[in-house]
Amino acid sequence: MSESDQDRIQKQRIAEGLEEPVAEANRLARKLGLDPFPVNYWIIDYDEMNELIAYGGFQERYPHWRWGMQYDRQQKQRQFLGGKAFEIVNNDNPSHAFLQESNSLADQKAVITHVEAHADFFKNNQWFGLFADDPDAAAMLASHARTVESYMSDPDIDREEVEAWIDHVLCLEDCIDQHQPFAPVEGDDGAGPDLEDVDERLEELGLSDEVRSQVFDDEWREAQRPEEDGAAFPEEPELDVIGFLRKHGRAYDEDAGKAVEYEDWQRDVIELLRREAYYFAPQKMTKCMNEGWAAYWESMMMGEEGFAGADEFLHYADHQAMVLNSPGFNPYKLGKELWEYIENATNRREVAEHLLRVEGVTWRNFPDRVDLDEVLAALEPDRAIDRIDADSIADLDPEDPRVDAEALERARAGEIDLERYPWKVLTYEGLCERHYSLVKPQYRGFLKQLSQSDLERIARYMFDDARYDSVEEAVAAVDRTAGWDRMREIRESHNDVTFLDEFLTQEFVDANDYFTYEYTQTTRDFRATSTDVEDVKKKLMLQFTNFGKPTVVVEDANYNNRNELLLAHQYNGVMLDLQQAQQTLERVFELWGRPVGLKTIVKELDEHDVEVARRRDREPEPEEQGKLIRFDGEEFAIEDLPWEEVEHLAATDVDYDTKPDDWLA
Amino acid sequence: MGLRDDLERYREVGEERRQDLSEFIQYGDLGESLPDEVKIPIKIVDLPEFAYDPRDKGGVGQGDGGTPDVGDPVGQPQPQPGDGDEDGDPGEEGGEHEYYEMDPEEFAQELDEELGLDLEPKGKKVVEEKEGDYTDITRTGPASTLDFERLFKEGLKRKLAMDFDEEYVREALKVEGWGPDAVFEWARGENLPVSRAWIENAYDELPRGERTTWDSIEQMEANVEETTALQRIRREGLEQVPFRREDERYRYPEIVEEKEKNVVVVNIRDVSGSMREKKRELVERTFTPLDWYLTGKYDNAEFIYIAHDAEAWAVEREEFFGIRSGGGTRISSAYELAAELLEEYPFSEWNRYVFAAGDSENSSNDTEERVIPLMEQIPANLHAYVETQPSGNAINATHAEEVERHFDGNDVAVAYVTGPEDVVDAIYTILSTENNE
Repeated sequence: MSESDQDRIQKQRIAEGLEEPVAEANRLARKLGLDPFPVNYWIIDYDEMNELIAYGGFQERYPHWRWGMQYDRQQKQRQFLGGKAFEIVNNDNPSHAFLQESNSLADQKAVITHVEAHADFFKNNQWFGLFADDPDAAAMLASHARTVESYMSDPDIDREEVEAWIDHVLCLEDCIDQHQPFAPVEGDDGAGPDLEDVDERLEELGLSDEVRSQVFDDEWREAQRPEEDGAAFPEEPELDVIGFLRKHGRAYDEDAGKAVEYEDWQRDVIELLRREAYYFAPQKMTKCMNEGWAAYWESMMMGEEGFAGADEFLHYADHQAMVLNSPGFNPYKLGKELWEYIENATNRREVAEHLLRVEGVTWRNFPDRVDLDEVLAALEPDRAIDRIDADSIADLDPEDPRVDAEALERARAGEIDLERYPWKVLTYEGLCERHYSLVKPQYRGFLKQLSQSDLERIARYMFDDARYDSVEEAVAAVDRTAGWDRMREIRESHNDVTFLDEFLTQEFVDANDYFTYEYTQTTRDFRATSTDVEDVKKKLMLQFTNFGKPTVVVEDANYNNRNELLLAHQYNGVMLDLQQAQQTLERVFELWGRPVGLKTIVKELDEHDVEVARRRDREPEPEEQGKLIRFDGEEFAIEDLPWEEVEHLAATDVDYDTKPDDWLA
Repeated sequence: MGLRDDLERYREVGEERRQDLSEFIQYGDLGESLPDEVKIPIKIVDLPEFAYDPRDKGGVGQGDGGTPDVGDPVGQPQPQPGDGDEDGDPGEEGGEHEYYEMDPEEFAQELDEELGLDLEPKGKKVVEEKEGDYTDITRTGPASTLDFERLFKEGLKRKLAMDFDEEYVREALKVEGWGPDAVFEWARGENLPVSRAWIENAYDELPRGERTTWDSIEQMEANVEETTALQRIRREGLEQVPFRREDERYRYPEIVEEKEKNVVVVNIRDVSGSMREKKRELVERTFTPLDWYLTGKYDNAEFIYIAHDAEAWAVEREEFFGIRSGGGTRISSAYELAAELLEEYPFSEWNRYVFAAGDSENSSNDTEERVIPLMEQIPANLHAYVETQPSGNAINATHAEEVERHFDGNDVAVAYVTGPEDVVDAIYTILSTENNE
């Protein structure tokens, strides 16, 4: 038997062993309220896994050195640091997920449950719908790969040039309008208003060739184009810089010393890289939510619902800890913590609303009238739901909405392995009760943290405040599905920015030890600045808004009437990394073919002020100064701009600075 | 096209091809490594993009069971989302770093597992006398460890041994004609532990009239009964037990000699003109993991870095991999310096490793006449030579072969590295050579 046959048979054997976990994980996910895309699972070996990770989860990508770089890094990381159980799942319908053959069964199960939750997120989050409801990603990326390969092997095209062209575009990868649905750039030839029109009209004037070449020379004709109807071009600042360049850009021809129309391959490469940027954008925009979501449900299925067998559990717990407890700030951990917080907060609110509707209970007398320990005791899951085994199912009532009548019948007939899959006899309602968050040991204090002002706020808009005669009656009416229902609503409509903006609270920030830090000129290092929720939120917004990158738009494509491209940095109080900005401008020049400029605002510090501030143990006040950085293909020119010219770029209502006023005092 | 091709392109970025990207390449700088962490340097090509000024941006951190006070330094910013430039696929776990950091012990463990090594470091220098059980006894010590039971017993024994029936001896002094001398003589014969001074003292105190009570000693003995010590204790109680310092014993923990596993590693590198960037990088790729491995294996690791061309000089680690000089090559110069520097680390107390690397070029006869004898003279757990020749062999590059032929694997490892893919094999060759010992 050949090695590859052996290999294939080995993978087949593993695949067979995983068929049941895969099917059951999907059933469990659906029982828990998730609605994933169908997932195709593939068994691959260690090297294949490294390769897939390097290529962003897909088998076929356009040829590029960065995949090689990522592979090298990946392979070294796993060689020297030991392998974590990686999971890869693609946003596609059906989704494709990859399992490494050498993983333990516990790891495989963890990966499968994690994947099911991602597939649910892909399918249901509206931001993923912006690219396409049915992305067919693998086919798209493979066709991109073939297109680029064909250009690279074309004897008329220099391979290095194609590679460099890709690099130019990648520098602007994040300069797209990710909040708009993706649409391909219309088949414009890139010439803007038609030159031929101008030519035709000149023709009609019947001028002599001499006059034409003297007066209406190329430069003049160029200048006519954008001004045709006198409006600014673009009319509104354009966020989709790549799209704009694709439509109006030119390449600089070194031999001719001027801008020339794009070659077909150049236009195609920009377009396909732009499409990929839009395809990957939703994943970047929901990283924290999506990973948190997957980690939450993975831990629900693996840990709480015992999808890992008892012997596998320890191993699984170890894996989970490794992933989530990497030191420092971890957006995935933030996501999971925030989902858990939302679940608890929703459930708590549901309970509070019911209790405030007990006759005679008001937000003022709440602490005297309601014994929260008793409430918690009453919220404990029904024993019959909590512990399910062959004996206990005799007591379950098929009419009970928490019980899956059909499954119960099969379980009674001995067709269901209750030891491994006890959840099968329950419905969504049953599972909500079984895993009700507020009575879990780690969250038992959560209900009691309700403050009087929280209660007042909840009571303020409440009608019908005497619906229940007793606390018992109110607690019995509490809807235990509230938490998970709300979580699914949120996963449909939010992205990381709105998610953090809306749900981060002081209670959450305190409980999870988040803080902000800033660089201080006085001490020349980073110092902790605040634990206030508003400050933490500011910094998180800065990191999640626009992929954590500054917003740079096309402001004017005919700057100074010379067809120069003017980009503008929409300044939010945090300045650009100027060195990188210049390096990026050099790339933009390649894509525009003519001089390019960037308007920005920088913070300037007078050395004398820094010194004085340092002596007084204070922070110096930087001066905000408008700047124009221009690159003409040869050299840079940087000039100060009067404030009026950049005023429109400066956001006045945001402030990302979290330094306290009495800083270091 | 495919993976192989993409890897190839990546390696060539900034070198043969795509010089335009060379300004974006960062090589890992080993010098910044924290003392207890190792970093695996990798070449990262970071394309430029519009990004925030990292200082102006600040960030968010998460404490572990508490937050730093406002104004506390927080060290280098933690990696933030958006720092990396990846597609953000679910499944990419962990932040983006230019290095991978790990604990040397873990690294050594990984390598042991990966390569099936099991290097058992030898303890040499005695650095600590660890406490075992409190079973040993000493004459001094803290009061709390005083063995009082023993002190009391000894005191009692001493009391019994020193105790005598004072009345009985006094009666003997009353024998007519007997003075202290005669009594002392008698007492000795009777095995009574009485001193001459005591007798003289008692005699002086004895009223003159009583000095002739008995006619003879026989008469006294017949009339006075000597009491035993036990009787006296019963009668008078145990008035005073003579505790003597010399009876004091302190319980003391058994002393276990802890030998520290010390290692000194000499890294020698040829920095002469023929050692180009690629060769340099291969040395770094090979030496660094070896250093981490040994750091992880031993309690205490010291490193000596020697750069040489025709001359040798000791350098700091930070400079070691970066130096380039123009001169010729004389490998023995490095071994001469190594022998000198190693004097501070006697082989009786230190495990020694001497690793040298270069492209095997050496000045004529230097290997045979000087290097090999020096290698034989420098006692070490292991000598190794790593030949780095990215393009195969040069004609006059015979150092490695000569060394290999001479020692034939006995405590001297010779490894050949022609590309990064050989590094792991080279490490294995080197470490398993000692292992076979």
